[in-house]
Amino acid sequence: MHRKVVIFSMILIFISTSLLGCTSKTEIYDLAMVMLVGIDKGEKNPNNIMVTVQIALPANARGSTGSPTGTGMGDPIWTSTGEGKSIFEAIRNIGRYSSRRLFWAHNHAIVISEEYARDIGITDVIDFFTRNNQLRMRTWVVVTPKKAKNLVATKTGLEVIPGQSLNKLFRYNEIIAEAPRTDMRILTAAYMSESSHPVLAKVDIKNRGVSADRPGEFGSTPQVELSGSAVFNRAKMVGWLDSKESRGLLCFIEGFNSAVIALKCPSDRSKPASVELKDSKFKVTPYYKNGKITFTIESTTYAELVELGCSTNYENPRILADLEEQLSAEMKSNIEGVIKKAQKDYKIDFLKLGETFNNRYPSEWKELRDEWKEIFPTIDITIKVDANVISPALLENPTRDVKD
Amino acid sequence: MKKEKITNGMILAIAVNLVYTKGIGVTQGIIARQVGNDMWIATALSILQGIILVWVTISIIRRIPQYNIIEQTEVMLGSLIAKLVAIVIFLFFVGAYATVLITYVYHIKDYFSPDSSILLPVVVGLIVGIYGTYKGIEVVSRFAIMGLMSILLFNVLIILGSLKDFDIKEILPIFTNGLGKNIEASIHYNTDWAMVTMVAAILYPLVNDQKTWFKSGVTGIVFGGLTVLIWPILETGVLSPEVTGQYIVSCMQLARAAEIGDFIHRYEMIMVALFSISLYVQIMVILYTASLTVAPVFKLKDIRPLIIPIGIILSAFGYWIIFNNVRAMTFLTYYWPPIAMSIAVGLPVLIFILGFFFKEKLQQTKANLPQEEQNI
Amino acid sequence: MQDKINDLLQLPIERSLKKNIEIIEQIIENNVDIVKREFVFHGPIDISGVVFYTDGLVNVQLIDSEILKPLMIYSSQIREQDNTQVTHFLAENIKNHLILNTAVKFVTKISDALENILSGDTLVLLDFCDQGFIASTKGWDARSVGEAETETVVRGPRDGFTESIRTNTALVRRRIRDPYLRMEAMKIGEKSKTDVHIAYVKGIVKDGIVNEVRERLQKIKIDLVLESGYIEELIRDAPNSPFSTIQSTERPDKVAAALYEGRVAIFVDNTPFVLLVPTFFWQYIQASDDYYSSFWTGSFFRLIRYIAFLISLTLPSLYVLIVSFHQEMIPTTLALTIAAGRDVSPFPALIEALVMEISFELIREAGLRIPKPIGQTVSIIGSLVIGQAAVQAGFVSPSILIIVAITGISSFAIPNYATSFALRLVRFPLLIASGTLGLMGFGAVFVMITIHVLSLRSFGEPYTAPLFPLKPSDQKDIIIRAPWWKMQKRPQMVDDNPNRSESGIKPEPPKANSGESDTDKKSNDNKNNDNNKNNQSNEKGRKVKQKRTWRK
Repeated sequence: MHRKVVIFSMILIFISTSLLGCTSKTEIYDLAMVMLVGIDKGEKNPNNIMVTVQIALPANARGSTGSPTGTGMGDPIWTSTGEGKSIFEAIRNIGRYSSRRLFWAHNHAIVISEEYARDIGITDVIDFFTRNNQLRMRTWVVVTPKKAKNLVATKTGLEVIPGQSLNKLFRYNEIIAEAPRTDMRILTAAYMSESSHPVLAKVDIKNRGVSADRPGEFGSTPQVELSGSAVFNRAKMVGWLDSKESRGLLCFIEGFNSAVIALKCPSDRSKPASVELKDSKFKVTPYYKNGKITFTIESTTYAELVELGCSTNYENPRILADLEEQLSAEMKSNIEGVIKKAQKDYKIDFLKLGETFNNRYPSEWKELRDEWKEIFPTIDITIKVDANVISPALLENPTRDVKD
Repeated sequence: MKKEKITNGMILAIAVNLVYTKGIGVTQGIIARQVGNDMWIATALSILQGIILVWVTISIIRRIPQYNIIEQTEVMLGSLIAKLVAIVIFLFFVGAYATVLITYVYHIKDYFSPDSSILLPVVVGLIVGIYGTYKGIEVVSRFAIMGLMSILLFNVLIILGSLKDFDIKEILPIFTNGLGKNIEASIHYNTDWAMVTMVAAILYPLVNDQKTWFKSGVTGIVFGGLTVLIWPILETGVLSPEVTGQYIVSCMQLARAAEIGDFIHRYEMIMVALFSISLYVQIMVILYTASLTVAPVFKLKDIRPLIIPIGIILSAFGYWIIFNNVRAMTFLTYYWPPIAMSIAVGLPVLIFILGFFFKEKLQQTKANLPQEEQNI
Repeated sequence: MQDKINDLLQLPIERSLKKNIEIIEQIIENNVDIVKREFVFHGPIDISGVVFYTDGLVNVQLIDSEILKPLMIYSSQIREQDNTQVTHFLAENIKNHLILNTAVKFVTKISDALENILSGDTLVLLDFCDQGFIASTKGWDARSVGEAETETVVRGPRDGFTESIRTNTALVRRRIRDPYLRMEAMKIGEKSKTDVHIAYVKGIVKDGIVNEVRERLQKIKIDLVLESGYIEELIRDAPNSPFSTIQSTERPDKVAAALYEGRVAIFVDNTPFVLLVPTFFWQYIQASDDYYSSFWTGSFFRLIRYIAFLISLTLPSLYVLIVSFHQEMIPTTLALTIAAGRDVSPFPALIEALVMEISFELIREAGLRIPKPIGQTVSIIGSLVIGQAAVQAGFVSPSILIIVAITGISSFAIPNYATSFALRLVRFPLLIASGTLGLMGFGAVFVMITIHVLSLRSFGEPYTAPLFPLKPSDQKDIIIRAPWWKMQKRPQMVDDNPNRSESGIKPEPPKANSGESDTDKKSNDNKNNDNNKNNQSNEKGRKVKQKRTWRK
């Protein structure tokens, strides 16, 4: 009896080893690790898709023995483009130049050019990149007003690999809080949601950097900037939000805990003052009365005074009270700005207001669901902002010039 | 062959393992396509139905604790009908094995080695399954305890990795689909419980200490249900029901979206590594029970000669089903639930009712059994 | 030839001394180490006698002072008491009155006589007497009790077993002054006649286990038993498994502890390794230190050892699996580093791992076999060639070196050599499977190994108990080591008498009433009576309370 099992498993093992050729074994040195991918409209044919990939060259990024001491000989990245009728064809065409197999699992971000997003739409992008098992759902999806391929080829940031710089830009941009942190998961959910629409972050190339060799030529090297956002109607992009409106948007879609807001000095309006947001609560409450929908937005913000640019005789309470007033005006204008864009300019609910309404009035939602697109621009939205500057940080007295 | 004995804790572990792997992924995808954000309610409803199913099954077995459902049918209706019942239950296991293979192969193949042949995981699963089954149900049950531990660990990991993205808004308007539709959707999950009840109907005579049968059965269902219930809640809250419904294996999608910091940015492998244990438990348990089911048809005391042919039959059918994704999903969504439910609910209920008519016959047989065996 | 000696051995001891000597000399022929010393016993009549002993196995001074001296010089004592009776009670009289040796017994068969001679006792034969005296004169050069070299501890007794079975049993007996501790003797080995003792504590061990051990030992038919490994392999439950189901130890304290957990110890002569059955898998990962140091330390180091266990089993396979199949699992930064290192390496990860693993085993084996004076060479060559040079020459990638080194270190952290060897062995199929089939292969082989281990039994007890099957009450001493005041019960396999200690033995400081420390107060009590009065009522309350807790 035991022998039979042995023979049987021998046969099975033989079969399975003969199938080994079919396994997907790829050594790590056969992989071209894609760090960034850019999607443009084709150059040969505007209906085509052009895909640009930024591939890390490990030996150059790390030094030949893999020790992280040296940066090797040449460029840490290798950029290549391919054009085709579909994304897949375009990627396959990159294979003509790439000596290694493209590997997508470490891709940090998908950069979509504005013209592609406006004219062709992102359905294909979402489908392709979620259908592929290599890609993670945490890949950032961003839109650029320039050519995506230029952005992908730009060396930027402090990291060796520019793709990683962009990734870290996202992870540590809490302090700036000027762009939504939309990754593939959020994008897919928003795209498939019945009421809300996707918003992607905006990246741009600005000549900000300076080469250490030529310190005089400031602005000679281009750098990637993350600020603002792109609004989509379903698959197609309809417009931009600037950095202030994006901050207002963040309240609705993800909330933010830390942001620096520049205000004016209480005693001297020409001088600056800054507060840093420490904690903020944001509550959207829908009301439905007599067939009329209204929303109340209550925002409570706690901030800390981090900078006061004027020499003032005011005591702390007075300074803080003044800043509070300014802060709430600022917050209110941010929120109002984004609401105005949503309701008046784009007439699209990307603020998740439909979902909020659905949560509170599920049965009414069922009736209004189909007309939401028409109803949304007409909704009355009340904004209440309660801003508190609760701490002057380390200084009990403002920095004062006592010679006067 | 010496009759092996397993403990109540072991049958509990087997029950949890049987429902978990398919319940969190494939089934949730199907449910999400039907009821959207109410998928967790459908799951919870199905736990209640599972409890009833297991209660019925255990009540049947308790009439003669040493006899499984087929042997009891033989006592009541004669050997011919018993063989028929055995074959029907065997057919159920053929289908159940196919559903297990769907879960197993689509996890492995789609997410890890898309270039590899689909036959490979089937063959590997079969080899491991046969090896485990040869070692007997006791070893498999010990292995199931290990599976249970890895399931718990995995649940903790996925909660850690995805809770920060949890958005209550996605779940909130509960009961948007109404009770009826939820119950309809819960049938898909009931097919997973059906596997538990059928396995219980065959295996419970091997479980010692029959006083705690009900307790262990119900605890198994509740425990298994709760470990699964976390998933629809997380999937709805993190992925949104629309995305969940988009995928064949939606739990992998949740794993794809989860991360702990920047260093564990992919969960899929940890996930499959942890729950492949319970997948193999499923394969082994179904192989074992299927062999045990047909053993009386061939008048065999020892099931071992049957394991290899039955393994090949089950795998062959499973292979045919999974070879085509569309066929697999059609089978799973439209054909399997009615078949599974009619066998797994119909048969026990029928025998439960018949038991009242043949009460005397059953009691007589019970009294005639050797005394020492009754005490176990 | 063999038959002839066999026939001679079966003969009884004759009355004629000459004939006896003849028979024995025919058997031993020209053996130089068996010494014959003839003498004359001046008894009622002068009787010639002979002494046989094995040179080197006996303490010659003992023979001189306890046997020859009384027989030759003080033989008159017998004559005075008993001058009429000759041979009949002579033997008995000599035993009772003359031979000073502590353990004297009679033999009547040549085979018995010879066996005793060869085990270091002395045979005394007298003319006209059909019995031989066997006097215990064992005394040979043996290693003294030294440190247990394979199982060293930081805190704990240093003594380890030696090659002498008597010393070994004494080392255990010294720790357990319990009349319930039983030692049963048997001899195994047709030719070697090796002493084997079974030790157990009656009332704690299950009778079934002792019977099983006895039966299995009696079944052994083998000519030589040179080490307890022979016995171990012949009484195992799963002879084909690479996993050892019988624990061997050099430490008497381990044996003593095991006896009180209801296990049976098998002592074998000529080896410092004592076998313990039944064995559970987890016991290989426990070390004696765990029990001697604080339970926090013990639990922590035990956890470290579990991690070492996992690493040494799976790390190379996981590395190969991730590097050649699932590169998406590696954090991006690390992926780049590994890729940079692998860029120059000509071999696939699997081959690289296999080669490095085998070279590591080579170094280990060579280090073990090499004569001690040149032992340094191995480590120098090993660290240079397999370390730095291989990487710089571009033969292997630096990451695999780290993996192999960590794996090697981990396998040495497992206290039991047999287990760490079994792990090394099963690591290779795991490695090959994960290198060819990826995660699926790893999972399948891992599950098969697990199923195999789960199906093992050690003397009827499940090998992986009490975790699988789960016994919640026994978990205090598996993954962690609970403090002694928590482990009040022995493991469940114990027959009866499950209580190890009384409850409520958790030490607690006496409850002080005021801020001052307890000892301070005692001295204050003497000086300051007024103060004491105020506290008296409280004091009483405390004492009563304390009594209650201690009695509970």
